Amino acid sequence: MGAQLLTFGAAFLGSAVESVEALTIVLAVGLTRGWRSPLLGTLSALVLLGLLVAIFGQLIVTRVPELTLKLIIGTLIVLFGLRWLHKAVLRSAGVVALHDENRAYANTLEELRDAREQHDWIGFVLALKGVFLEGLEVVFIVIAVGGTSGGMGVAVAGGLLAMVVVAGAGVVVRKPLAQVPENTLKYAVGIILTSVGTFWAAEGMGAQWPLDFVSILGLAVLYFVATRIAIMLIRRPALA
Amino acid sequence: MSFLRSAISEVVGLFVGDWFQSVTSVVILAVGWLALTRFHVAGLAFAMALALAVQLVLATSAEARRKKA
Repeated sequence: MGAQLLTFGAAFLGSAVESVEALTIVLAVGLTRGWRSPLLGTLSALVLLGLLVAIFGQLIVTRVPELTLKLIIGTLIVLFGLRWLHKAVLRSAGVVALHDENRAYANTLEELRDAREQHDWIGFVLALKGVFLEGLEVVFIVIAVGGTSGGMGVAVAGGLLAMVVVAGAGVVVRKPLAQVPENTLKYAVGIILTSVGTFWAAEGMGAQWPLDFVSILGLAVLYFVATRIAIMLIRRPALA
Repeated sequence: MSFLRSAISEVVGLFVGDWFQSVTSVVILAVGWLALTRFHVAGLAFAMALALAVQLVLATSAEARRKKA
């Protein structure tokens, strides 16, 4: 039950962060060029991402031995999680500016302004590219946590629910979700993924963790303390 | 073509932000693997996690110093 919750939580939070970024692009395109092309682009990207999950998820679950899967996917999750933590630490410490959805929205509008006279496929391609590229991280999280924990359905459900929630919020608000604390979410997902990745990678290497799955909590505490130390060491006033 | 390039760099970027940090993490995991297969001591897995945590602190501090300079 705990493993399933963790799988669902990691997929949900990771998908929510990336969905917010994808929504910003789709909104910018839709509100300036009309909704038909960006919605088609979004739908095409979602179909492509769904295919990736289906193909790679199936291959991983049916073809790769469990220990090898844990070692390889665990290692990849550690690298992925550390990258998110690295960025979250630098943003929390004020070394790198926080991701700003309003600025991303303005940049996309600027990009579209130059292309106003061209055909509508630009709206399609921009939405397709934005949703597909942001979605690749979601695909990795879903396949990695779902495939290794044996809860692919739970991971897919977590990822899909987050997309639906964010899309719903976008339909209601009709502007970028700038109030979503993206850095905090990335920080939390980075801690979860790095802890889970370390747990699985070590199991794939043949290690036996004391208290089995509960050890992930200990690893999460370790990585959380490390990031607080890092932030404390490098903190300086937030960038404007 | 530019879409393909973006997709490839996005996939690489999933795991690599700073090459030095990523290589260090892989080396720590590889050394941990060798040690675990040789010695079978439970504490080694925690030592490996501790090493990863320490390298995170060092890598972020180093990048912060570089950006300040």
